[in-house]
Amino acid sequence: MKGKSLIFAGASVALAIVMISCGNKQSTETPAANAPAANSAGKPVDPSTAGTVTGTIKLDGAAPKMKVINMAAEPSCNKQHTEPAMTEDVVTGPGGTLQNVIVYLKGDFSQYSFPPAAAPTTIDQKGCQYHPHVLALMTGAPLQVTNSDPTTHNIHPVPKNNREWNESQPPGATPINQSFAREEIAVPVKCNVHPWMKAYIGVLATPYFEVTGKDGSFTIKNVPPGTYTVSAWHELYGSSEQPVTIGPSESKSVNMTFKANAPAD
Amino acid sequence: MPEIPPQDDPVVSRPMSVLILVSVFLLLLTVAWSLYGEFFGLRPWRDYQAHFRDLYSSYLRKQISQRRTQEQAFYASADYKKLKAAVDAAGAAALPEDRKIQAQIDVLDRQRAAMTGTFQIARGQVGALTYQLEQIPESDKSGRASKLKELNEAKAVTYTVDWPNSDGSVAPRTFNYDLLNSTFTSLMAQKAALVAQRGVVDKPAKDAQAAVDTYVKENLPGLGSADLAGLQNSVQSMDPKLRQINVNPPGTQINYVGGVGLVDRCQSCHVATDPLVVPVVMTLTKADLGVPKSHDAPFTSHPDQDMLKFHPIEKFGCSPCHGGNGRALDTVEKAHGRYEHWLWPLYYPENADAGCQQCHASDIITEHAPALNDAKQAYREKGCIGCHKFQGFDNQDELLVGARQQILQLESDRKADQLDIPRLNKQGDTAPNNETANAFYQQANNLTVTVSSMDAQVEQLDQRTHSLLQETKKVGPDLKEVRMKIHKEWIPYWLQHTHEFRPTTKMPQFRLQPDEVQAIAAFIWQSGLPGPPLEKQPAGDAAHGKALLESRGCLGCHSVGEGPNMMGGNFSANLSRVGEKDNYDYLVRWVHNPRERTRPYSPFEKRDLGPEDYAKHNVPFVFDLDHSRSPDDGHELIVQQPTVMPNLRLSIQDARDVASYLITLKHSDAQYAPADFMDDPKLVAQGKKLVQFYGCAGCHEIATLEDEGRIGTELTNEGSKPIERLDFALYTEDAKRGVLPDGKKSPRGSWYDLKGFFENKLANPAVYDNGKYKPDPLDRLRMPKPNINSKELDGLVTMLLGSTDPSLPPDYMYKPSDQRASVQKGWWIVTKYNCMGCHQIDVGQSSVLMGLPMYQGQEKQNLPPRLTQEGARVDPDWLKRFLANPALSATDTNRDGVRSYLEVRMPTFYFSDDELRSLVLFFEAMSHQAEPFIPQKLEPLTTAETVMARNLFTSTAAPCLKCHATGEAAHDKNAIAPNFLLAKERLRPAWTERWITNPQLIDPGTAMPSGLFRREDDHWVFSGPLPVSFQGYMGDHANLLVRYMLQMTPEEQRNLLSHAPPATAAAQK
Repeated sequence: MKGKSLIFAGASVALAIVMISCGNKQSTETPAANAPAANSAGKPVDPSTAGTVTGTIKLDGAAPKMKVINMAAEPSCNKQHTEPAMTEDVVTGPGGTLQNVIVYLKGDFSQYSFPPAAAPTTIDQKGCQYHPHVLALMTGAPLQVTNSDPTTHNIHPVPKNNREWNESQPPGATPINQSFAREEIAVPVKCNVHPWMKAYIGVLATPYFEVTGKDGSFTIKNVPPGTYTVSAWHELYGSSEQPVTIGPSESKSVNMTFKANAPAD
Repeated sequence: MPEIPPQDDPVVSRPMSVLILVSVFLLLLTVAWSLYGEFFGLRPWRDYQAHFRDLYSSYLRKQISQRRTQEQAFYASADYKKLKAAVDAAGAAALPEDRKIQAQIDVLDRQRAAMTGTFQIARGQVGALTYQLEQIPESDKSGRASKLKELNEAKAVTYTVDWPNSDGSVAPRTFNYDLLNSTFTSLMAQKAALVAQRGVVDKPAKDAQAAVDTYVKENLPGLGSADLAGLQNSVQSMDPKLRQINVNPPGTQINYVGGVGLVDRCQSCHVATDPLVVPVVMTLTKADLGVPKSHDAPFTSHPDQDMLKFHPIEKFGCSPCHGGNGRALDTVEKAHGRYEHWLWPLYYPENADAGCQQCHASDIITEHAPALNDAKQAYREKGCIGCHKFQGFDNQDELLVGARQQILQLESDRKADQLDIPRLNKQGDTAPNNETANAFYQQANNLTVTVSSMDAQVEQLDQRTHSLLQETKKVGPDLKEVRMKIHKEWIPYWLQHTHEFRPTTKMPQFRLQPDEVQAIAAFIWQSGLPGPPLEKQPAGDAAHGKALLESRGCLGCHSVGEGPNMMGGNFSANLSRVGEKDNYDYLVRWVHNPRERTRPYSPFEKRDLGPEDYAKHNVPFVFDLDHSRSPDDGHELIVQQPTVMPNLRLSIQDARDVASYLITLKHSDAQYAPADFMDDPKLVAQGKKLVQFYGCAGCHEIATLEDEGRIGTELTNEGSKPIERLDFALYTEDAKRGVLPDGKKSPRGSWYDLKGFFENKLANPAVYDNGKYKPDPLDRLRMPKPNINSKELDGLVTMLLGSTDPSLPPDYMYKPSDQRASVQKGWWIVTKYNCMGCHQIDVGQSSVLMGLPMYQGQEKQNLPPRLTQEGARVDPDWLKRFLANPALSATDTNRDGVRSYLEVRMPTFYFSDDELRSLVLFFEAMSHQAEPFIPQKLEPLTTAETVMARNLFTSTAAPCLKCHATGEAAHDKNAIAPNFLLAKERLRPAWTERWITNPQLIDPGTAMPSGLFRREDDHWVFSGPLPVSFQGYMGDHANLLVRYMLQMTPEEQRNLLSHAPPATAAAQK
């Protein structure tokens, strides 16, 4: 009797061990998009073999005309603008380079650990506009919200996969410190008081991202050798992807183009 | 003397050895058998328990070591050490002072002990003498004087006490009585003062200890390693034993077994459900124990510990909720009652909620029983209710009859009483003396008062009748207006292809022969009202109609699109093929006001009244909720369509636009065969007979059949039906052998039980006719095929299985008399009108609109309000007014009274007075508000406070007016929040203060930002820069603003606006 149950207990413990180890394997295979901030054990990237991905994002076709924002309702902001403030849905540079695109790498980075930056990423409210209009940070990395306007704003991110919050920030108030726990591209941010104010915050599980500037270029450094997908996201034109393979210490260029007349969803 | 023949020695001549040997063997065999049975055969629970013990104690060992590591880390943490050091430091700091005080207290205690004996003797003597003195009468002056003298002498007696001094020495000290008394009192007072002083001295140490305790509790929740070790110890030494729950409330019978009460031995195998084995703070799953899910070991703790809090096992046992034979232990099959001699088998997992139904049959919503709740909803929505009565759950018709009978009874009593009054008065007039006369007059007076209170009662019952008539709705549309509404050719097609035409329809599919279809269609068509012809409507703007349909809230109940493109709720019809069947003019009328009726129906005369009936009495042909009495006899009429669809208060032009859009929704190739037979009067009689046979009037209003009863079996106690009364017909043997009607093997073996019968009946209501020769359609089973999915089928089976004769005493039945009753009553109404299509009412429940693509992300702000705290938010009188007329205006109705800025709109439901009352009480109950409501008094604002609040409202720091509407068209164009003027009558101050200080707590994701105020000491302070007028103000800023808002006048608002910048919100979308 006793023997039988001992055998059974032994078997089930063995089974449990097998299951647990299987479970571990599974969780490491979970796509990063669904995983919470991955600070779990992993090795740092070896800089001696790491490569670089660079490139330029362009817009094919004429950029839509941006609209003038009517800020008459908020005189304190209105008078900050000598020229009328414009919407920022599509901002291009010379030669159709596209600004405000979040470019990031997708792939299996599960064996590495990426501590989020200690220095906060800042978003400022000035002249009733967000500066910058698009930004990106790592999961768990600090975000600092400041208000340089003489009026009260409220910062209201409307995430799909993160916790939602909505804080007011009167003029001269101390900065609001927040962070996002889960990967999401991109969290829209709005101010309910000044509904023309819009920003997007990309939250990524790895440090392999950059937001393009006026020249549409990006540089993603310290990439371990491997095959990845370069993904570019624009608020109006959606996402576009291209594969890339980085050999040891290799530098690759990936250029992408969004079509102006065919906005993605 | 005859010689006695020698007798055989019985022992020698009849040897018993064989018999004895056989008996010995038999005995040995039975002993072996019983031993085998004891250890191997009949006690499966022994194995289970032993197995469980091993697994559980190894699990506990693992937990203990984990916990120890955790605790060590915790106790080594800097935070804990810091707190602990603070305790030690505070203790050390207090110690000298504490000791000093203790020494003083010790001296006082010694002194008191030294004097106590003496003091008691002295006090006894003085007390006795005082008593004796009081007993001597006032007149006996000399006696009193001598006793007084005696008393004074006693008080003057001196006593010597060995008095311990504070330095430790003892010296004799003399006392008289008064000194003893005062010294004693003083000692006590000194000690009390010292104890208090020590409390002050020790407070820092105690506070520090409390901080440590709280910190430990918050950071190391659950059982500690010592607790776990104790548990593990007791588990390891646990001998397999029978675990038994006895429930036997005195004087009652519990469960089916009669007077002996309930004996459940389930825990003998399901060990982990015993809280002594697995404490309620723990949960145990098979995964915890490393047992695969498929393993039959019953080792998990009860999955819903929360529910056990109000259904304690020691009161409810197991089998009353789960079924099964709680006494049986021999085999799993017997314990679970799954054998032919046990009438209450264990419910299968998919029917687990059935156990709730026994006591919760009259609930509309039962917490922790989602499947049952869904089933009850389906039972109403899918129209089961149209044919099958279910008591305690749906009783509007009974209430109506009851109210009518009560009125009749009261009227007859009243008449009798009224006859008595003159008789009594007359007796008074002729009484022999005034006393008797007055007694008669008094009796007469009492009767007049009684009669008048009966009048009040009758009046209330009349109103109740009015409400009940207004509340009575039908599942399907009114067929009296079929000629005005429907294309004639479509009807016969629909009758035959119900689920094909509209896959989500509630209407079940009848099995009709072609001639039956023709007769039914002809009867329905010819019984419809012939006229008057509808007003001709010009065409509208279909694109605008589509926008309205998608934004006004229609999709909370209706869906559009087919297949994967379907979008919206399934409470009401899918509208994707309306254009194939409906007349445009009728649709316009319907969309404009779905409750509009062509003719009122008189339940008393049992016919529809027309203009000609009104003309006879020279009254205009006007009937609505305010003109609901018959001109013929004054009885209440049915003046509205019996639909739950509310009036969206669209303008007639908007209604035309919506109808124009709807009429475009059709398949381009739709064609229906001509149906001239529908005008054939010869078919009417046969059609009517069939309509009655199939019970169409259960769900539809049909001329001449308004009073048809329900044609189906009452299902109130269906779960108690003996299996012999369920006709499995030709499947009886198959069912016992476990062969399903489709020839496949039943996964659970025999299905010759209630569950099997119900499941197969619901899946195919004609199944038990299979193989029978029934040439006459009227002999066949008539129940149509309900349009339900497998989840709904399981739910309905669960509901039926649970609907048994109660086996528990009446006080186990859930019949709340407190606010929970209001919740049940209200839930009936909110589900009846599908309030959850648009609103979140219960925490955690989602509305249909919340899931629609147009309300995602930033568009969430366009959703209707969350009502989870509605009762705490609004004044119930206001709520009643709003529910009755959500436009909050008699004339300006094409809007929402509160949130005019939203596209989606609260429609008018024409709730009856009873429904209004119940709904208000429901919201109050959901938010635990005391009833009746007494408004909170608001401190009036001082002039200075008014100025301050106004300054703050108009400062750039406070953005209130940028979002909130003010009633000025230019400003409100951009508003996204209600007008402050509404606040006064609408909002409760306490809620408003909670709202403005942290709205995200009440409505996560709301556009209203948090952090407008910060807590300073014990009050709220506005976070932004303050106007100068606030200098020196010590009051609570949130409270000031609440008082200002809730006392806002139109004049003050104009005042505000002249100072404030215009609204900005929603300037761009």
